[in-house]
Amino acid sequence: MGRSQGSLRGHIATPALLGLPVAWLIAFFVVPIVIVGLYSVDVYSLFPGAHGFTLGAWHGFLHSSVYLGLFWKSVKMALIVSAVVVALAYPVAYYLALSGTKRKYVLLLVLIAPFLTSYLLRVLAWKVILGNNGVLNSFLAWTGIRSANHPLSQLLYSRFAVILVLAYVWVPFVALPIFVSLDNLDRRLLEAASDLYASRWQAFLRVTFPLSLPGVVAAFFFVFIPTVGEFVTPSLVGGTSGYMYGNQIADLFSTGFPDWETGSVLALFLLGVVAVLTLCFARFTQAREAT
Amino acid sequence: MDVALSRNGRRLLSGFFALLVVFLYAPIAVLLIFSFNDSDIPTFPLSGFTTRWYHQFATNPDLKAALGTSAIVAAISSAGAVALGILASIALARRRFVGKSVVSAVLLAPLVIPYIVFGISLLLFFHATGIPRSLLTVVIGHIVISLPYTILVLVPRLTQIDTGVEEAAYDLGAGPYRTFGLIVLPLILPAVVSAWLIAFTTSFDEYAVASFVVGTRQTFPIYLYSAVRFPNNLPQVIAVAVVVLVVSLLVIIGAEIARRFAERRLAA
Repeated sequence: MGRSQGSLRGHIATPALLGLPVAWLIAFFVVPIVIVGLYSVDVYSLFPGAHGFTLGAWHGFLHSSVYLGLFWKSVKMALIVSAVVVALAYPVAYYLALSGTKRKYVLLLVLIAPFLTSYLLRVLAWKVILGNNGVLNSFLAWTGIRSANHPLSQLLYSRFAVILVLAYVWVPFVALPIFVSLDNLDRRLLEAASDLYASRWQAFLRVTFPLSLPGVVAAFFFVFIPTVGEFVTPSLVGGTSGYMYGNQIADLFSTGFPDWETGSVLALFLLGVVAVLTLCFARFTQAREAT
Repeated sequence: MDVALSRNGRRLLSGFFALLVVFLYAPIAVLLIFSFNDSDIPTFPLSGFTTRWYHQFATNPDLKAALGTSAIVAAISSAGAVALGILASIALARRRFVGKSVVSAVLLAPLVIPYIVFGISLLLFFHATGIPRSLLTVVIGHIVISLPYTILVLVPRLTQIDTGVEEAAYDLGAGPYRTFGLIVLPLILPAVVSAWLIAFTTSFDEYAVASFVVGTRQTFPIYLYSAVRFPNNLPQVIAVAVVVLVVSLLVIIGAEIARRFAERRLAA
């Protein structure tokens, strides 16, 4: 980076480079969030009339068992989804990175390709499959495995459906960071462990797994963050029992009885939690890189 | 002895890999099968082969309009995101400046914001400033979402390039714009193309943010979302889904083959 001094001549100035992108994000990302803050304290309001600063909506939110309960439910669902997804992706990433297969990049592409296609359409596919008269139930009835009068009724519009579909959506993505951390592993460490009479399991638990932990944490984080605020999948396959915190926010802004003040509070609370988690994650990766 | 896997472990894991791939592709295969099924509802047993769902969607004006709208939105927003991304990436990769960590945090923050929060933020912003909701507001939102992805693709590529070639261009009297156009841009072109592809597909498929800021003209995801709520549309939607999924899988495979071909040529 010693180049920066010498390359000053004739270069485009740094403010000219950063001006537009930073201005764009301030205008259309930072300012909108500040405006949400103003709505949450009723300085701005959907309804015209006299307004003043009030923390009423914040107070109401923090004392509401409904909203906080819904938040915890979403946290729990996101934790389950992240754990399931990491548990499914880890063995596959391990196989690709460490089995010595020559086609590992081809197989990795096969694994990841679905993630790069339409999210909405993959959710739609499950809606077709899981319905009471859907593909799965009609298949079971047709083959005589289950009576047509007693379909598996909890498949669609349930918490189960939301967790299944979100896990389906995220598995290919999560395999990637875990694969990278395992692929970068120095195999000589495993040979050393083996020379020192470690069994494969011991080598895995004491060497491989700890070294792949940054990938696992990154994978967990990158699934948990979008899932805790998810509202598209639950609104398509969740029904009432799969209703999540994100759906509540969306409904406060879009139903016949909008409540932008409360909705802003809910949104900012979610944003705060995500921001704290992101800072912890950034600290974790920095600490890892430093050592 | 293989220290990572025993023979049985390898068999077990390759079996598990195969199962997971089946799990990932089975829903797409189900859509493919039922897109040709001659019945209004997708259920077993199958009731004969038909291509009428494909004909129906090919002649459905709303659907075609939505696809066209999304193509326009994705084209404009991806071009915007890549342009802003190139500017920001050059600064992040090549310059030292005060507050760099804050600037890069702001530039990458849209990666982690829940889309529901960003969607309602834009809604309130456009409401407060009196900007009417339209395709333009969708484009604005999609540029914000895609920008960090373009930076994540472009910065590593820029740091890979030997800055000596740029210095040489300056020494030979090229100005900053000619140096960029003749030296830097060709060198980072593969990364620019991937950044553009990511931004385009992100926008084309984006529902959450668009649902809050879209005007009267529907984008494709918004059309899809409302269409799946009516069962009589379902077979058509399944046919569209198959077309979009298959085309995107082909593009992914094509891009990968092209990338490998380019790498091999560079290595040779």
